[in-house]
Amino acid sequence: MTVMRDEGTRPGPLIAALSGVLAGAVALGVAELAAALVRPQAAPLIAVGGAGIDRTPEWLKDFAIRTFGTHDKQVLLGGLLAGAIVLAALLGLLGRFRRVPAAAGLALFGLVGAIAALTRPDAGPADALPTVIGTVAGIAALLLLLRHGAEESDGTGRRAFLATAGGAVAVAAVGGIGGRLLAGRKSVGRLRADVRLPAPAKPAPPLPAGADLRVPGLTPFTTANSGFYRVDTALVLPQVDPAAWTLRVHGLVDRPFEITFDELLRRPLEEHDITLTCVSNEVGGPYAGEARWLGFPLAALLREAGVRAGADQVFSRSTDGFTVSTPIEAVLDGRAALLAVGMNGEPLPVAHGFPARLVVPGLYGYVSATKWVTDLKISRFADDRAYWTKRDWADHAPIKTMARIDLPRAFAELKPGRVPVAGVAWAQHCGISAVQVRIDGGAWRDAKLAPVPNTDTWRQWFLEWDAAPGSHRIEARAVDGTGALQVEKRADPFPDGASGWQSTVVTVR
Amino acid sequence: MNARIIGTAALTAGLAFGLVGCGSGDDKTSNAVAGKASSAASSMSGSPAASQPFGPACSSVPSSGKGSFAGMAEDPVATAASNNPALSTLVTAVKKAGLVDTLNSAPALTVFAPTNDAFAKIPKKTLDAVLADKKKLTDILTYHVVPGKQAPAALDNGSFKSLQGGTVTTMGSGTSYKVNDTANVVCGNVQTRNATVYIIDTVLMPK
Repeated sequence: MTVMRDEGTRPGPLIAALSGVLAGAVALGVAELAAALVRPQAAPLIAVGGAGIDRTPEWLKDFAIRTFGTHDKQVLLGGLLAGAIVLAALLGLLGRFRRVPAAAGLALFGLVGAIAALTRPDAGPADALPTVIGTVAGIAALLLLLRHGAEESDGTGRRAFLATAGGAVAVAAVGGIGGRLLAGRKSVGRLRADVRLPAPAKPAPPLPAGADLRVPGLTPFTTANSGFYRVDTALVLPQVDPAAWTLRVHGLVDRPFEITFDELLRRPLEEHDITLTCVSNEVGGPYAGEARWLGFPLAALLREAGVRAGADQVFSRSTDGFTVSTPIEAVLDGRAALLAVGMNGEPLPVAHGFPARLVVPGLYGYVSATKWVTDLKISRFADDRAYWTKRDWADHAPIKTMARIDLPRAFAELKPGRVPVAGVAWAQHCGISAVQVRIDGGAWRDAKLAPVPNTDTWRQWFLEWDAAPGSHRIEARAVDGTGALQVEKRADPFPDGASGWQSTVVTVR
Repeated sequence: MNARIIGTAALTAGLAFGLVGCGSGDDKTSNAVAGKASSAASSMSGSPAASQPFGPACSSVPSSGKGSFAGMAEDPVATAASNNPALSTLVTAVKKAGLVDTLNSAPALTVFAPTNDAFAKIPKKTLDAVLADKKKLTDILTYHVVPGKQAPAALDNGSFKSLQGGTVTTMGSGTSYKVNDTANVVCGNVQTRNATVYIIDTVLMPK
């Protein structure tokens, strides 16, 4: 290799920027590989993204969840990656003139990543390692690339630069892809497949015949696990080994205790059909789903611990630090509140809280449905504030009665004649006693209601409409089991759930 | 907004009405004390939108809050439009026609949204008559909506069947587009949760 170290020789701007990007890729790739060995959640992008999510304003997060749905995390990670590429290119350009500050800049980003990794709620000291190792590798790559890049612009060291660049790409790719594969091998998918759920001591009764009206296009009564909505704050799904899982019950109790997954499965488990709903669901929105849950009654668990006077909430925490406050009277009033381990006949999917989560009928998820739950602290609202309630969402959030029109679709074009009008309605823990439909502001007509197994599930409804040509407006409203009519007044999801009668406009021609 | 004060008020009201119970009746109790989310944050950096809004009127859109581009992208289209003061006449018309939920719950739409100035071009008598005629109003409004989220490139030489049934044509390129040869896009490619919006300076009439 010819050495032509002329202080006046600099890499071209493109070469410098490319050097920066490649060095960044090396840093991230190596960090990813190291993280796979330490802990997948300690990878710098994941750690920074997680820290960012926790500091994101409520409206923006709400926007992300609603706009990108289950893809919001990928969008965030993509954005972070794009930002990292730009910054790395800028550092490369800086390195044209000043190499030490460029390296220091990379070190600074490494520091940010390491701090983010260390300050995650579930982090240990080793969580800084992946970022540190990655940063060191990145700095080495940057200096090497810039040196050969300078020679490249002379036309003498092109081969050396290309070789170094190729090496950097290889290291980044092997690190990144290898890291992902390794992390995947460590994923709990296999452990989950090995879990054998016991038969329920108290099985749910079979669904009543006709719970599913089987109208084409109507939401099925039971939501498949794969199609169940997911709204949470986890960037990387927590990978909880059931053998290492414990649930701690403590706080304002006489007898704090811990329970392992095996101990939980040996208890007499119950099965219940319960419909969950997310508070961000708008009038007519998609964030509701029905499943058959298998679990141990939460009330029995609390009574074992002996709840002390003055406690007014169950403050639950997931393994990734997310917290939820549930009014304790909702858990103890006899409803089927569960520490759930099974969903529709299989262990909880990882995305839905494997190995254990909370399910409380009648409350929106953000105040009841903690996934990957590992800690129940019996406490007071005045003492412990939860993730969303700290962000101004309401402490008390019973699910609001809602009739949703699934058929016909919004702006459907229909042929004259008999048209099915159908949907689902929910008023969890109260049940639905009627759904009424009117066309073009006419008289309300009672829809046919499908039978339901209990009052905690949604209920399918159906009405046949003799459609005449023209534009028509269909409205629906529900009456709950106590005879209370669905609230007509419009409210946004924030701060305690949307309300209003849904309408849909269709054309018949 | 002061979270703690409202939180305490909600808690008090909630406990008084036993809100964890079933059918405790009046949900308005909790709505009445509810505030709106504060939207103080500035425009979103690293916006994931594939391409940016364009056009002369875009600069008048607020840079933060519910009516900003980031804020509009947060909400379904009718809700998003209601947060933009320049579209208040359109929103009034949409509410009068009872199209809010339908616009909000359709999976993917493109909306040509006339500004208040566009509606002001229509003689007041005519406009009032249209607003009072729900059928005609629905026809006109649904003529401004076409299926699917149409990217700007699709408008270069576009012809779309509107939800009203009539055809809407578009012509132009880059950041300059005309609709039906009469309306200019003054701010285009505005993203809402379920629809792409092109704000136009003239109300379209079904052909």
